[in-house]
Amino acid sequence: MKIPQQPISQRILKYSLTTLIIIGSLWSAAGLEITLERILDAPRQIGILVGAMFPLDLSQEAFDRIIPKVFESLFIAWAGTVIGAIFSFPVSFLAAQNVAVGIVSRATKQILNAIRAFPELILAFVFLPITGLGPFTGTLAVGIHSIGTLGKLSSEVIEGIDEGPLEAIKSSGGSKLNELSFGVIPQVMPTITSYWLYRFEINLRASAVLGVVGAGGVGQELINQLRFRDFPRAGTVLICTIILVLTADTISAAIRNRIIKGKVVKS
Amino acid sequence: MINIPKKPAPTYLVTIGIPAAMLFTIFSFRRIGFNLQDFKENLANRAIVTDPLFNPKWQWAWENTADALLETVQIAILASIVGCAVALPLAFYASRATNLNKYSYFLYKSFLNLIRTIPDLFWAMLFTVAVGIGPFAGVLALIMFSLAIMGKLLSETIDSIDPGPMEAAKATGSSHNQSVFTSALPQVLPNYTAYFLYIFELCIRASVILGLVGAGGVGRIIETQRIFLRFDRISPIIVIILVVVILIEQFSVWIRRKII
Repeated sequence: MKIPQQPISQRILKYSLTTLIIIGSLWSAAGLEITLERILDAPRQIGILVGAMFPLDLSQEAFDRIIPKVFESLFIAWAGTVIGAIFSFPVSFLAAQNVAVGIVSRATKQILNAIRAFPELILAFVFLPITGLGPFTGTLAVGIHSIGTLGKLSSEVIEGIDEGPLEAIKSSGGSKLNELSFGVIPQVMPTITSYWLYRFEINLRASAVLGVVGAGGVGQELINQLRFRDFPRAGTVLICTIILVLTADTISAAIRNRIIKGKVVKS
Repeated sequence: MINIPKKPAPTYLVTIGIPAAMLFTIFSFRRIGFNLQDFKENLANRAIVTDPLFNPKWQWAWENTADALLETVQIAILASIVGCAVALPLAFYASRATNLNKYSYFLYKSFLNLIRTIPDLFWAMLFTVAVGIGPFAGVLALIMFSLAIMGKLLSETIDSIDPGPMEAAKATGSSHNQSVFTSALPQVLPNYTAYFLYIFELCIRASVILGLVGAGGVGRIIETQRIFLRFDRISPIIVIILVVVILIEQFSVWIRRKII
């Protein structure tokens, strides 16, 4: 029996990629001075840290400090998402090829790309001397980064719409504005709303981290406790963050599911 | 007489959800101390930042960032390769299509979800404490980061594979593991490669900021200059990072097109 073989060009590609991956990882490991004994020793060291965190610090004082910080992260993420949603919504129409003129669309897309390129953390410490240490700086950073990402995603949704309803509106004498409000927006709204919620989930993780540079949120608390070697309390901070993120994720995912799939009709 | 269809009554999600979301928005803005008056006043002294920011010291940046930038790229390469390699078997255990045991499926799925809730910089902080300051901690942090993303993406892809080939393999007498290897794995390999390149891009972006907590890479240099408010040194570093990130992304897009 003759078993068909892979074409030679594909095999060459396969083997060259495999070598590239192996060489890449070895080169990186050598450059970073990561030796086998460090890798083998790492689980033990991580075990020591995890061991030091238990039992968790469940005192009233710890909770009084941690809980407001955790909620501050939630508020930063939500307010940042709202800023991103409000500003990205009109911008996304300008960036969509089938709504705006060619030049406007291309220019807007480039601006959105440029905004997206800066991580929240870098935006945060650039704003820090201007708006001061505190959650407002974090919100601004999260919001501006969200404008970039949400603008890109929303404009792609707008580009993917069905042109039929637009033609129907045009043929019955509707203006360009009618086309937008009755043709485009009803089609894109469910997907864009679910993207907003999805962004909220991402922003929640981002806002938790922002405290590292002093821009509010739970990150400040974690880095302080780790610096003071107060591991039980650091463990509590970590667990509280995990609970918040899991809860927010679950709720947001349920709402997104409902928006995209519609109401479950019991038959 | 035209019969105009009635608009269905709004659901609870709309009648309760939208006002609740608005209230929560107002509440959030109050809690973060949003105040337009203060903001305008603060904006007046933006010169502290913007003057040096738009006055970059290129010379200094060229001389001091090359090594750290290389370190950043190496962290991202190593972490994305190891993270995705570890995620491959885990994803098969965390999918209902390939894991027949309900309990172990639930365990693996929860494990991946749990890893995903912890942000990348939190991992970096924890690992710098555990294994010491330096790029090794950064690599470990990004391994967890890429493991979490790949685990979720790939296990969901495996959930939606075509069960036909697996049934065919079983019909010829292969065991469950054999059928997974010969029928499920080849189906998801193209997606796996695409996800890997995507995660590599994410890792490059994430590895830039790892240095802020002492986990190696170019962030280390940003952090020291940030403390002294030397924005004239930070802005060229950021521009150089952006150029490198964009070049690497273009390279990864080119490879993706070549493979798929």
